Amino acid sequence: MAKKTYDLLFKLLLIGDSGVGKTCVLFRFSDDAFNTTFISTIGIDFKIKTVELQGKKIKLQIWDTAGQERFHTITTSYYRGAMGIMLVYDITNAKSFENISKWLRNIDEHANEDVERMLLGNKCDMEDKRVVSKAKGEQIAREHGIRFFETSAKANINIEKAFLTLAEDILRKTPVKEPNSENVDISSGGGVTGWKSKCC
Amino acid sequence: PPPAQPLGRNLKAVLCQRCGSRVLLPGAATFAHRELLLPAMRKKAAAAAGGGGDVVREHWLVRDMFSFENVGFTRDVGNVKFLVCADCEAGPIGWHCLDDKDSFYVALERVAHE
Repeated sequence: MAKKTYDLLFKLLLIGDSGVGKTCVLFRFSDDAFNTTFISTIGIDFKIKTVELQGKKIKLQIWDTAGQERFHTITTSYYRGAMGIMLVYDITNAKSFENISKWLRNIDEHANEDVERMLLGNKCDMEDKRVVSKAKGEQIAREHGIRFFETSAKANINIEKAFLTLAEDILRKTPVKEPNSENVDISSGGGVTGWKSKCC
Repeated sequence: PPPAQPLGRNLKAVLCQRCGSRVLLPGAATFAHRELLLPAMRKKAAAAAGGGGDVVREHWLVRDMFSFENVGFTRDVGNVKFLVCADCEAGPIGWHCLDDKDSFYVALERVAHE
């Protein structure tokens, strides 16, 4: 029964200053019956999510850098094997946006040169506290030739789209291989499975 | 009673109790007995346990990490990682010991079945 039930595995990293919104998932549910203290104290190391793209079942292993958000602590070993990087800032925090250039340099220095990058301006539901315009985000993304989305984990805006788009961009660069019947789970249907896109 | 097939595999999909995120597809795990202590998942239980947890005994055992549809792993607590919902981060729903790389336990009483 150790049959592989997926076609591809993509390793993704979430990178950005602390406080840009990687823990906000918990806030959405903070007043319900569930105990959030334990999980938020320990922190999440990584997540596995499953998507289907072009008939392929793809496992995304998504690593969060929470707690290590200093440039000097994120070096080559951290980036090893990463196929996609989501660079996240907070549209209500100017400093997190200023640091994007430093993060991009850090990626250039340490990550594989063909890693697929994407810029996300998070917390776009907090329009009244916005200090970084959408145009500024678009401009820096254009300068570096990378995709850009404004997202809100809280309001569930563009998160799913961002992950799917990054996975698609990686898939496009992945060498086409004849499907190996051993590795194909024919019982899987189309579309995205179990994707609630509440992750920031 | 656990919704298991005669073979002991899960007949139904395993879902998050809070947000319904799909953790395991039908047939992805086997039923297993093991006594494990999991930190409380609900506020009421947390208050009752005084910061402790619940002893859970019935689990879905997964042998390959990538057999999960959607799941989150906490940072290490000693030599253990706890499993949580990948989407809403409710948990712990399960347990993984770093000394046993091929065993991932999902507590039956901490998930929904559909």
